[in-house]
Formats: sequence, C-alpha cells, structure tokens
Amino acid sequence: MLKKLILIPALTLSFMAFANVAVIVHPSNAAALSQDDINKIFTGRAKSFTDGKAAEPVNLAEAVAVRADFDQKALGRSSSQMKAYWSKLVFTGKGTPPKELASEQEVLDAVAKNPAAIGYVSSGAVTGSVKVALTLN
Amino acid sequence: MLKRKLLALTIAAVVSGASHAAIDINGFASIKGGMALSSDDSLYGYDDNFSFKNESLAALQVKSDLGDKLSVTAQLLGRGADDWEVKFEWAFLSYDLTDNLRVNAGRLRTPFYKYSDFRDVGYAYDWSRVPQSVYGLGFDNIEGASLYHTTTLGNFDSSLQFIVGSYDGDAAIGSAIADAQIENITGVAWELGQDGYSFRMAYLIGKTTFYVGQLDSPTGLYAQLSAFGLGALAKKMDIVDESSSFAGVGFNIDKNDWVVVSEITKAKVEDSFISDQESYYISVGHRFDTITPYVSFEKEDNKAKTEIYAGVPTASPIFAPVAGLVNSLESERNSINVGVRYDFHPSAAFKAQYTNADNKTANRKDSVVVVGVDLVF
Repeated sequence: MLKKLILIPALTLSFMAFANVAVIVHPSNAAALSQDDINKIFTGRAKSFTDGKAAEPVNLAEAVAVRADFDQKALGRSSSQMKAYWSKLVFTGKGTPPKELASEQEVLDAVAKNPAAIGYVSSGAVTGSVKVALTLN
Repeated sequence: MLKRKLLALTIAAVVSGASHAAIDINGFASIKGGMALSSDDSLYGYDDNFSFKNESLAALQVKSDLGDKLSVTAQLLGRGADDWEVKFEWAFLSYDLTDNLRVNAGRLRTPFYKYSDFRDVGYAYDWSRVPQSVYGLGFDNIEGASLYHTTTLGNFDSSLQFIVGSYDGDAAIGSAIADAQIENITGVAWELGQDGYSFRMAYLIGKTTFYVGQLDSPTGLYAQLSAFGLGALAKKMDIVDESSSFAGVGFNIDKNDWVVVSEITKAKVEDSFISDQESYYISVGHRFDTITPYVSFEKEDNKAKTEIYAGVPTASPIFAPVAGLVNSLESERNSINVGVRYDFHPSAAFKAQYTNADNKTANRKDSVVVVGVDLVF
C-alpha cells in the first residue's frame, strides 16, 4: 500500500517532466526573460538578453522529444515550420540557426559552462548547475 | 572540363583558405517530375512527355565564418534544365557592422519579390513553384552590395535592405531570352512583420540595355528603319540604356493555420518596345498538421506599347514588322493552381500541384501537373 502511494507522485512527476520545458541559463545570468524574449532569441531576431548581454542559444536535435515541445510552446510552430523558417535565412546569408546538441545532458553542460548560453531541457532534467529562467507549460 | 577543374580548385580554395574557421555546409534539393496534360499543351518547360529534369535542382552552400564578424558564403547550384551544370548561384562576403546591420558584397539575389531570396529552396514554401506570372523577369541575381538592417519598431519586426549593383546576362523579353545588361541598379526592400502578419514593399531602378541579334545587328530592324529615315522610330523601340523601374508590394498572413500570401508587381522599361508588365497572385492555404492544401490565382497583364507605331501608315512596308514586334509583347494570362504539401519527413516535403494557364492573348489554355520532393540538408 505504501509502495503504491509513493508510485503515484512519482508517475505524476515523470508526466510533468515530459510536458514541461525549462528554459535554462547560466547561474550568473540575472536577465528576466519572457516567452516572447525567448522566441526572439531562438529565431535569431534578438542577439542579446534583455540586459543587453550577448545571447548564445543552444538547441536540441530533433530526435530529442522535448525539442518538439519547445518549438510548439516557445516558438508557436512545428519543427517542420521551424526548419522552413531557418532554410529561408540560411540560404540567403541572413542568419544561422542555433547550434544543435544531441542530448539534454550536453545542453546542461553547455549552459553550465557558458555565461552567455541559453538552452532548454525537460523540467525533470534540470540540475543545480544551471538556472531556470522560465518554465513553459 | 576546365570549368569543372576551376570549380574544384575554387571549392578547395574556399575550404582550405578557411581551415581555422567554422565551416557550415548546407544543401537543398528538389526532385520533381511533371508533364503537360494534353499533346497540344506546353507550360513552364513541360510538354506531354513526363520529365524529371525540367524543374529539378540541387545545391550546396558553404559558409565560412572567418571570425571578427566576417563570413563568406558560396552557393553552388545545378539545374536539371541546364543538364545539371553547376554554377555559382551566389558568392558573397558578409560583414556585421553591428548586431542589426550587415553588409553583403558579391553576387547576390536581387530582392524583387518576397520569395526572391529562396525561390530555389522549395522546402521553404508550400507551392511546387513560385507563381510564374509574377516571378517572371527572367533574372534573379546581381553583382553588387547590399546593406541589411533588422530591428524592432514597436511590436513590429522590420527588415530593410538597400542594394546597389549591376546585372550582365540573360533576361526574358516576352517568351524569348535576350542578352541583357542592367547598370546602376539601386533598390530598397522593406518588410514589416508582427505575429503572423507581414507586409513588404520593394522598389528598384536601373538602366537597361538588351541586345537582340535580329534587331540590333547592322542588318537588323533598327538599322533598316534608320536607312528608311526612321531613326527616331528605331530610337523609340530599341533598348539602349533605358530607364527601368520595378515596384512590388505584398502581404502574408499566417494565422490559426491559415496561410494567405499575395504580391502585386509592376515593371517598366521606358522608351523601348518592352511592354509595361503588371502581375499579381493570391494564394490561400490551410495547414492540417502535416498536410497543407492550397489554391492560388495568378494574373499577368503585359500591355503592348501600340502608341509606338500609331504614326506609321498601315500601308507602309515597315508597319508589319514594327507592329508585329511591339504586339508580340502583349500578354494577358490567368492561371489557377491547386496543390498540396505533405511534410512526410523532418527534412523533406512531398508536393503535388496542378496548374491551368489561360492565355487570353494567344487564345490557348495549358495544363501541367508536377509532383516531387523538396528537401534541405
């Protein structure tokens, strides 16, 4: 009985972890970020944080499930639409998409190391080495 | 053969010269097959034999970031219609003056239309091809420099581009191709966007010279007119350093999975027999997850400058050749397209499109169907 009770919150947690996307920055980054700011940074329309410091977005590869959630929740578009968006900029010399990393762990490492970095992982994957700037439900 | 060697050397130079720099290689391809739907029909290079070559293309783009805000981009593109001969579609260097201001110099795409920059990248739009009634000047690139400025104006994203340069190559003259030079091209294109809505305008001017053998050679029509004492008429017709202008406006709505796009353009070459060209299209589509069906309507209305031969008596022996030439550039054509895009893969889209073009001037209707896959890599 006790075991079952423990299981229920654990299940809820893991479901939440899948559904929520945590946008993460370096612990030293004090900038306030709205979803619109994040959208601008990840679509190349803003090159700096709201406090004026340069921003270096890191993306997740399409193979990672949370990528599709992020594209939908933060950018309001499907991953295919984002690819079409970037192909317009890439093949015209007007922009370069954010670097893509293969796993959430790589994003965590990259953000923990670089004060300018901004990335995202599923909420459950967040560690103490990064700061959550915004959680997208 | 020499061409290929040179190309290989150039690529090697681009790649090795930048050995310390970050190099991005991207590519895109369209593999399309299509045919006209009856033996009398012909449109966009298709006849009633199924062709995989006509509209297929593949391209590789190499971009090298040299650091300190300097980068160089080269795009190599081969079209099936040119027997896959690979050419430098673009080659330019970019320098970021600020985060919002970039200078590009080299061989660039001329920003006539909303989709000018990426008309070859089929993956970036829903249609099988950009609307030909509008995208029909017959040349896309110039050698020159552009200044590209992006900013936010209130809630709007603004991108403003100034461009200067010149063009030397082929251009469309009616349904024929002329050897063209367009000098002193100066233009501006401005796009404003907000939350799924965008508005664009472009205006370019230049000095146009077209050389057509049958007209401009020492035995051509103009020389004959001059010999008849009609040098003034020849001057009104010829295309030598003529003031030319292009104006375009367009809008785009992408909201609640509805996609509406429209552009209207007007092109003129003063003091020449080239007709004034007015064109527009409107396209409406709806995104159902991975499937986007659309319909579009296009109109091309090129008005012949009949006033050129208004003073020539019909009995005159020169009436027929002069009027014939001027009238040959009259063209009124309505086209309807129905098609679908299916995103079956993260990097590839399947597309099918039916087009029916009703040429009122030539009194003929032509239909064409094309299916294919557009991909980016």
